[in-house]
Amino acid sequence: VVIRQRPRSARLLVVSLVAASLTIITVDYRAGDEGPLEALGRATSSALSPLQRAVSNVVQPVSSFFGTLGDLPSLAGENRRLEQELEDLRAAQQLNAELAERVEDLEQQLELARTLRRPIPARVIARSGVSNFEWTVTIDKGSDHGVEIDMPVVTGASDGARLVGKVIRVTPAASIVQLLIDRDFAVAAKLSTTDEAGLVQGRGADDLRMDLLAPDTEVSETEPESVFTLGYVIEGQASLFPPDLLIGTVSRAISEPGSVETYVTVRPAIDFSTLQYVVVIGDRRRGREPAA
Amino acid sequence: VRRVAILVAVIVTALLLQTTLFPELTLLGVRPELLYLVTVVFAALRGPAEGAVVGFVSGLAQDFMLNSPKGITALTLTILGYTVGLARQYITSPSPLLPAVLVGIGTAAGVAFHQAVAFLLGEELGPLGYVAKVVLLTAVYGAILTPIFFPALRRAAAAPHVGRVVRF
Repeated sequence: VVIRQRPRSARLLVVSLVAASLTIITVDYRAGDEGPLEALGRATSSALSPLQRAVSNVVQPVSSFFGTLGDLPSLAGENRRLEQELEDLRAAQQLNAELAERVEDLEQQLELARTLRRPIPARVIARSGVSNFEWTVTIDKGSDHGVEIDMPVVTGASDGARLVGKVIRVTPAASIVQLLIDRDFAVAAKLSTTDEAGLVQGRGADDLRMDLLAPDTEVSETEPESVFTLGYVIEGQASLFPPDLLIGTVSRAISEPGSVETYVTVRPAIDFSTLQYVVVIGDRRRGREPAA
Repeated sequence: VRRVAILVAVIVTALLLQTTLFPELTLLGVRPELLYLVTVVFAALRGPAEGAVVGFVSGLAQDFMLNSPKGITALTLTILGYTVGLARQYITSPSPLLPAVLVGIGTAAGVAFHQAVAFLLGEELGPLGYVAKVVLLTAVYGAILTPIFFPALRRAAAAPHVGRVVRF
């Protein structure tokens, strides 16, 4: 298509493109997740994910290199300190190696015994979405491997599974996971010591916010308190997430005097910038009967 | 046909870089908006009509990767491409920094506009401070990256009609 630079045709073109954009916004806004545009979106992600995977493999070393460049000045001093530390650590290493072996054994036992009935292990192939305002990762498993929309995603750790997020878009060979720090993400949760329930919501780069159901809940600020997913079944409606996945630890308790709402901020247990391996929970049975 | 192929290649490359390389290379936690950069540079080189087309296509491409209502980025970048293309015709400054400045201003205005539309559609935005930070930092980052990408983009923009390039 040859486009001439005549003002009138340019204006006409822009007006029609703007109209097209507005139409797309309207159609998509009304259709939600079912519309034809979402299908197109899935097709785009699907086409792009193999490329992302390839590029990701190539640029990983490059970006680590540039990341290191910024740290050069402080490296010399750090080097000396680290050498000293290395000495100390060598001694401890012997002991650790033995312990690690045992831990790994136990971990595998634990993983087997866990409630994950249909785990789908996956690798993170794109560590974030395309926008500064959405927090997602792309993983290398899709509908071909049994991944479905809304499935919970966790990552393993020695102290049990930690919540990563949920699947929001599935293509045959890849899926997009909405991280729990995304502003659209919310999950029912409870405090570890009091079992007090509340709603945890993502706040992007900031700590998560947990609104408590009971306004007069005492939250200790001195001892670190952990936050877990609640997991519930109410009148046959099960929560999306199974119970007892670690979300994070309480970083600050905020209660305004005279206010009916109390909330605490929760620091996520996962460092999302280094997340590499995750497990999608493929089990359809979720939640559990609420404790009496 | 060749123009279209080149354009598609440029947009796909920008999307890929944006999703793979730049999340690791953030400026104070904010990644650049490469498609805004592409749109502004094309608009500056090729005028309002092509600026609008490039903006529309790249905006749509980015929209399909997002969870928010689709079309917002397309709208933003269409207007951005057209505006920059128009503005460029009235600027006679020969400064080599002009593209960087244009990208900086264009990105800031574009991101702010995008968030305003998203807000009107009831999207969760988060604190104003964060939005302001993203607007500012994407603009600065875009301006920094412009000299790096500009030569390649100018070649892509000029490909079929060598010799008719608008030179800064």
